[in-house]
Amino acid sequence: MVNKYLFLAYAFTWLIFILYAWNLSRRQARLRKELEEVKRRISEPSSATTSMESKP
Amino acid sequence: MKKKFPISVHLALTLAALFVALYMIFLYAPEEMTMGEVQRIFYVHVPAAWTALLGFIIIFISSIVYLWKRSQFADELASSTAEVGFIFCTCVLVTGPLWAKPAWGIWWTWDARLTLTFLLWLLYVAYLMLRNYLINPGRAANLCAVVGVIGFVDVIIDYMAIRWWRTQHPQPVVGGGPNSGLDPKMLATLLVSWVAFMFLFFLLLRVRLGLAQMRRELGDIRHILAFKASED
Repeated sequence: MVNKYLFLAYAFTWLIFILYAWNLSRRQARLRKELEEVKRRISEPSSATTSMESKP
Repeated sequence: MKKKFPISVHLALTLAALFVALYMIFLYAPEEMTMGEVQRIFYVHVPAAWTALLGFIIIFISSIVYLWKRSQFADELASSTAEVGFIFCTCVLVTGPLWAKPAWGIWWTWDARLTLTFLLWLLYVAYLMLRNYLINPGRAANLCAVVGVIGFVDVIIDYMAIRWWRTQHPQPVVGGGPNSGLDPKMLATLLVSWVAFMFLFFLLLRVRLGLAQMRRELGDIRHILAFKASED
């Protein structure tokens, strides 16, 4: 039988790192999505401007 | 950097190192005579403590570079290290009492080493709170850099506490003097475990630093958008 203190120490260590890694990946995915959205918004008006500028 | 050492390789190395460390902790290292198997907490507690101290050393150096050169990278490195270091320091403060209870019969005592480690954890908390709650980013970076420089005093005293004073906390077993030392198998396990923790620390730091840089890029683009909108 594993000592309960030993089990708790290792369980907590793994849990805290897994939770933090999961939190980091969520934040990364959210930021990446936001960045793509903003880049898309930036490219849209410029293409519109270009098409207007090309009109006589 | 990315081409030479991709993050996927870093992740694979970290997992391999953690696997080897776990094997050594539970199957290779001998059982300690007086404390029994609970002593195996030592192999996560000590590497986590060394890594938390190293984290604050990185914050200290980055903070000085930021205050001196106004380098945005140094500020991002310091703030990212604070977050990752906080996780390691929390690990120390949880595994410590879990080891202390069966070894000493108490969860906690306010001896020099324990108190200074708790203070280190509070410094990490203070750093992160300043970073997150101050609205002006420039002011937050300056104040955090000051905390990073002043807080380093605690790192030195914390490291030296068990060398300077007699404490409830055990005396150092590595680099502690003529009467200190470890069984060679225990020492090898401790060092492998520390290497695994270092791999993990730098992996998390890389990802966190990537987030900080992505956030900066997003801020720059938003700035351009706002400028364009004001022109229109």
